[in-house]
Amino acid sequence: MIQFSQVNKWYGNYHALNDITAEVKKGEVVVVCGPSGSGKSTLIRTVNRLENIKSGQLLFDGHDVQSRTNTSRELNRLRSRIGFVFQSFNLFPHLSVLENITLSPMRIHGMKRGLAREKAMQLLDRVGLANKAGAYPAQLSGGQQQRVAIARALAMEPPAMLFDEPTSALDPEMVGEVLAVMRGLADEGMTMMCVTHEMNFAREVADRVWFMDAGKILETAAPRDFFNAPQHPRAQRFLSDLRSH
Amino acid sequence: MLDLIEIVRDNWVLLLIGQYPYGPLGGIAATLILSVVGILLAFPVSVALALARLSPWAWLRWPVTALVYIVRGVPLLLIILWTYFLLPLVLGQNVSGFATMICTLVLYEASYLSEVVRAGIQALPNGQTEAARSLGHGYVRAMRHIILPQALYNMLPSMLSQFISTIQDTTLGYVINVQELTFAANQINNQLLTKPFQVFFILAITYFVVCFTLTALAHQVERRIARRRLGGGVAPQIIDGVVMPAAQGPAPVGEVS
Ligand SMILES: Nc1ncnc2c1ncn2[C@@H]1O[C@H](COP(=O)(O)OP(=O)(O)OP(=O)(O)O)[C@@H](O)[C@H]1O
Ligand SMILES: [Mg+2]
Repeated sequence: MIQFSQVNKWYGNYHALNDITAEVKKGEVVVVCGPSGSGKSTLIRTVNRLENIKSGQLLFDGHDVQSRTNTSRELNRLRSRIGFVFQSFNLFPHLSVLENITLSPMRIHGMKRGLAREKAMQLLDRVGLANKAGAYPAQLSGGQQQRVAIARALAMEPPAMLFDEPTSALDPEMVGEVLAVMRGLADEGMTMMCVTHEMNFAREVADRVWFMDAGKILETAAPRDFFNAPQHPRAQRFLSDLRSH
Repeated sequence: MLDLIEIVRDNWVLLLIGQYPYGPLGGIAATLILSVVGILLAFPVSVALALARLSPWAWLRWPVTALVYIVRGVPLLLIILWTYFLLPLVLGQNVSGFATMICTLVLYEASYLSEVVRAGIQALPNGQTEAARSLGHGYVRAMRHIILPQALYNMLPSMLSQFISTIQDTTLGYVINVQELTFAANQINNQLLTKPFQVFFILAITYFVVCFTLTALAHQVERRIARRRLGGGVAPQIIDGVVMPAAQGPAPVGEVS
C-alpha cells in the first residue's frame, strides 16, 4: 500500500531521510518509533507529500506520490485518499465539528449536504462525539478535538490512515480515548502508519514496528520480537531508556 | 454657543445632503457614500492584491508589491491629483470629481487593506494549510474555504478602522471639488464670512461623532469575535487591534497552563 524505495531527503546539509526502503502492506498497522529528531515526522509527511524528497520512489496504492510530473490535480486526488492526523489536531476553528467533517466530502467529492451530514453523524457516533456535532473546536478538550480530526480524515474514506504522534499533545487522561479509536480502526482492517511513543499501543496493535534513528530505519520487526529482543544496539538503548522512565 | 446652534439650524440640510435635489448630493451623505462605496470596492481588490503578493509567481508578486509600496509611500493628496489629471487622459473623457475620488480611494484603501489581509493570512498557523491540503483541497479551495474565512473574520476590526480612516480621507476630495461634508462646511463659511471658527468647529464635531461611533462599534465587534473564538466566557485576547486566532493545538484554550 505504501512503498518506500531508496528514499532520500535533505534539509540543506542535513540528511533527514537516508536511503529508506520499506513497505506498509494493505491492512497492516505499522508503528514508527525512535528518538526525537530521528526523522519520523519527515518520513510520514513524505507519504502525502507535505514534504518533497530528493531521490528515490514512494508509491501509494501503486501511484508515484513524489513524481515530478504529478499535476496538482493528481496530487490533490492522491492526498484525498490518504487520511492524515496531526499532533496538533489542526481542526478548522471557524467551522463547527459537523462542518469540519462534511466540508471535504462536499467540496471535493461533491457529496450532497444531507448525505454528508448523515455520514458525519455516523463517524461522530463512532468516535463517541455524536453530542458535539454543533460545538466549535475551541469548546472541545484536546482528546475530543483529536477524535474529531480522525473522523474528519475518515470522512474521505481513505484506504490508509497516517498518524503523526496523535496523542503527544494530550493530557495523560485523554490519551486512552484517542488510542481506543485507533485501535478500533486497526481491528476493522484499516492500513495504518503511526508515529507514536505509546509503546503499549505498539505492542498490542501493531503488526510491524519500524525503529528509526538519524534518518535511517535501523530495524523492522514484529512487536513481540522488537520489544523482547531488539537487534540493533541503538534500539536496545532506546528501549532501555524508555523503561527506565 | 448660540452661534453654533444658529449655524446648524440654518444649514443642517446643506450639511446633511448638500444642494440635493437642486444640485449634486453632498454633505455627510456624500461623505458616507464615498467611504462606503470606496471601502466596498477596495475590499475585493485588497484580497486580490494580498493573494498576488503571497503567490508563488514572481511575475505577479513583483509588480503588485511595487504598486502597494508606491501607493503607501505617496501622500493621498498627490494620488488624488494624479488620478484627477490622469484619468481623463486615459479614458479620453471627462470624469466627475466624485468618480475620481472613488477611484483614488479604492486604489489607496485597497493598498493599505491588502497589507492587513496579508498579515491576517500569514498569522494563521501553518497547520491550517497543511490540514486543508492533506484532505485534498487545492490551493484555491483551501484559500476560499479555510484560510480566507478565518483571516477575514479575524480582520473585521481592522477593516472597520480602515473604514474610519477612509471617512477622514474623503475630506481631501475637497481639493478636486468633490461636494462632500468639508465642501459643504466651506460653502457655509463663505456665506457667513465672519464665523470660520464656529463653522469648522461644527465640521470637526460632526466627523468626530461619526468616527467615534464607528470606533466604539469596532471595539464591540473585536470583543465579540474574541469571545466567540475562545468558546465563551474567557477574557478576550486583542493585540494591536488584531484579534488573535483561537489557540490551536496542545491544550484547548482555558486549559492552557
Ligand atoms: N523544515 C525543516 N528544516 C530543517 N530541518 C528540519 C526541518 N524539519 C525537520 N528538520 C530536522 O530534521 C530532523 C528530523 O526531524 P523530524 O521532525 O522528522 O523528527 P521526529 O523524529 O519527528 O522528531 P520528534 O519525535 O521530535 O517529532 C531533525 O533533526 C530536525 O531538526
Ligand atoms: Mg515528529
